[in-house]
Amino acid sequence: MNAVAAFAWSVVQDSLHRKVFYAILAFTFILILLVPLLPSADIGVQIDLLREASLGLTSIMAFVLAVILGSTIIPREREKRTLYNTLSKPVSRWQYYLGKFTGIVVVVAGALLMTYVVILLFVLIKFGVFNPGMAKALFTILLEAMVLVSVAMLASVFYSPLVCVMLTALFYVVGHVKGDFLYRAMTDSANDPATRAISGVAYYVLPNLERLNINETIAHSERMFSVGATELLLLIGLAAAFTAILLFVGGYLFSRRDL
Amino acid sequence: MQGMETVLRIEDLRKDYAGGWRKPSRPALSGLHLEVPRGSITGLLGPNGAGKTTTLKCIMGLIRPQAGRIWLFGEEATDARSRRRMGFLPEQPYFDFYLTPRKLLSYYGRLAGMDPSRIRTKTSYVLSLVGMGDEADLAMDKFSKGMLQRIGLAQALLSDPEFLVLDEPSSGLDPLGKIQVRDLLNSLRDGGITILLSSHQLSEIEEVCDGVAIIHKGGNVASGSLDDMLRSREEYEIDLEEPTSAAWDELPGSASWADAAHMRVVVSKKSLNEALKALMGSGASIAEVRQRRMTLEEYFLEKIGREGWEVGE
Ligand SMILES: Nc1ncnc2c1ncn2[C@@H]1O[C@H](COP(=O)(O)OP(=O)(O)OP(=O)(O)O)[C@@H](O)[C@H]1O
Ligand SMILES: [Mg+2]
Repeated sequence: MNAVAAFAWSVVQDSLHRKVFYAILAFTFILILLVPLLPSADIGVQIDLLREASLGLTSIMAFVLAVILGSTIIPREREKRTLYNTLSKPVSRWQYYLGKFTGIVVVVAGALLMTYVVILLFVLIKFGVFNPGMAKALFTILLEAMVLVSVAMLASVFYSPLVCVMLTALFYVVGHVKGDFLYRAMTDSANDPATRAISGVAYYVLPNLERLNINETIAHSERMFSVGATELLLLIGLAAAFTAILLFVGGYLFSRRDL
Repeated sequence: MQGMETVLRIEDLRKDYAGGWRKPSRPALSGLHLEVPRGSITGLLGPNGAGKTTTLKCIMGLIRPQAGRIWLFGEEATDARSRRRMGFLPEQPYFDFYLTPRKLLSYYGRLAGMDPSRIRTKTSYVLSLVGMGDEADLAMDKFSKGMLQRIGLAQALLSDPEFLVLDEPSSGLDPLGKIQVRDLLNSLRDGGITILLSSHQLSEIEEVCDGVAIIHKGGNVASGSLDDMLRSREEYEIDLEEPTSAAWDELPGSASWADAAHMRVVVSKKSLNEALKALMGSGASIAEVRQRRMTLEEYFLEKIGREGWEVGE
């Protein structure tokens, strides 16, 4: 097994020994099971409500996991000095960085898979509807989680976990409101030029994360819009491009960092 | 072109650590030289903060020096390829506690590119070598400091390195453990392995090292073979059977008491006979006379002075 795979596997092992991993999973499952208790006006929309709320909860779970793991792995290994053991082996820092990233993505994917099974069974038992197409929404959640992991890891090359979490949260918020908010800030001639310039740069540089959010469409059984192969490929391309850039910058900085 | 006789060669190594927000950077190494001949045990000796760990981290590619050159196995590089032939014990090694030593070493073995069957046999072998054979399958959260140090040694030895770099190998070990490590290092050297170890424990270096490099505040103080360094003064020690102070006035000017109990006289070679005569004349009985070899402590104090031991500002 090569070094990247060994590093990735170490993340999986490590997560399985962290209580926070199980706590987040259990919490998500419990909340999903409680969704039907929400008051809803119309019996007919109950299934859509359940699907939408579950997918919302699942997104939050995946993003929290992504950000926690991405923000803590490198700082923790630096602080505990276990980095000295691993990086004094005949491996490159790039292998370490990519391996840890891969491991985090595998852990998030595993958590999403488990949640998928829970939602699928729950919808089936409650409404008698078998709805495997929801996998598409979970897949785009994974794509967005990948982007967030690469942001958090890039920050964690230099900053402490708390700062990384805050920076990634900021990235998340800006990435979701940019389509709307930044566009207006950039084009509104009432704003001063500096604000417009900064908004403009942010608008074109940051990914539009909202595009990766197809929860609503999927929750409504794609009645209004449908998510086809082209759309999915586009989303994969968007996420892959940003992840690759962030990983490249992060890996480069990490490979030059004093440990 | 470097000869094959030198496993490690360092020239004019400089390293400043960034001082952080609005603080000046601090020099940790200021032009260090070091040479480690093949098949030897070389000691890097210096007080706390001298730059030993910094030097070893540069060799392992964990930090980047601002200037200077490092050759490993005749090539100027500190990359993954040179590390393939090396083993490293970091200062105060630490591990993920949920792992057992066996699982930990299997992870490290995979990083070193070893195949599974070799990892299995080598793991058992190195763990027994460091006296941790019985603890191979216990979770490490209950391990003491000395036990972690032994695991650290085991992981450094795992992939049959040609060149071992050990940062304070016997730190945290009990007296028996220190002796075991000393014997282990000696037998590794006899097997052809080159070793560079750092220490501020003078006795440890004195007992195992063929050569030492003494560093202080990031620069070289002295280096060479221990025997040459320590036999540099022509002095003799005279041990007495019983304490005496009677003969003091008759002793030659170069003589001095080496102990408070007045049982050992130190005297220069020139006045050895004169001193012996005076002592015997005063009725003292002599137990032993021998040539004096400085302890490393004395050598160090002579070279950098007592203040040198204080941690640099
Ligand atoms: N990460 C760091 N950041 C800033 N300064 C550092 C760092 N590591 C070491 N230093 C400084 O560099 C100098 C050399 O430290 P180093 O750890 O190499 O000493 P040492 O010889 O290993 O000491 P010891 O015997 O205590 O282990 C010290 O003045 C120390 O304060
Ligand atoms: Mg040190």
